[in-house]
Amino acid sequence: MDSHYEVEFTVRGDDFLAAGEASNQIKETLIMLGVPSPISRRASIITYEAEMNLVIHSGGGSLRAVITPEKLTIQATDRGPGIPDLHLAMREGFSTAPDRVREMGFGAGMGLPNIKRNSDSLEIESEVGKGTTLTATIFFHEGPVDRR
Amino acid sequence: MTVSSLIESLKLDVHNGGDGDRPVSHGVVGDLLSFVMGGAPEGAAWVTLQTHVNLAAVAVLKDIPLVILASGRTPDPELLERCRKENITLATAIDSPFDVCGALHDLGLKG
Repeated sequence: MDSHYEVEFTVRGDDFLAAGEASNQIKETLIMLGVPSPISRRASIITYEAEMNLVIHSGGGSLRAVITPEKLTIQATDRGPGIPDLHLAMREGFSTAPDRVREMGFGAGMGLPNIKRNSDSLEIESEVGKGTTLTATIFFHEGPVDRR
Repeated sequence: MTVSSLIESLKLDVHNGGDGDRPVSHGVVGDLLSFVMGGAPEGAAWVTLQTHVNLAAVAVLKDIPLVILASGRTPDPELLERCRKENITLATAIDSPFDVCGALHDLGLKG
């Protein structure tokens, strides 16, 4: 593969019909690049949760995946309301999702913990009223990608 | 077991037949999508009471070949359409999630 491969998708807020499409495109990209399935499985959990956070909480944003021979970086960026208390938001079971979303099985307070559990490193920068950028990284410790 | 043999054993009402030859060795039950996303074994049969289109996205990302709507639930039209597109088998069981999982367990599926 090239040393740097990048895909980016726009995710619309509140669009539950299209939710998951960006994650699926990223998954297919990783498979195409020969990323081993244990890594693409972790990546799918990260991208899906990040994508749903964009749909549910932020009014939409972008989901980007950058693949190099060393690592996969997944970045979700929005200009939504921001996260007032990041520590609280990371706590399993804590959620600010509205009831109508919870009734669909979202908003169980598992999204960010799921992302953290499947990332080698996770950074979240958030400012109330301005937006949030989440950057999750998975490192390829052993030859990640088919280098044909 | 295969998807087809599970359908036959559980006498499921099939809304969309996907790849019936896909092997299924594990199961998962849950209505919280993040729980299934984070914890389901790859390729598991998924038992749920949810019926909306977002099940399909989770099924695709987790390589879930069979979604079983328990307690006689019927799928939303958007879910049915998406399962057709993604080749996911979608079926209804009359039994409760508890009883469906019991039957899957008896058939040798693991959690």
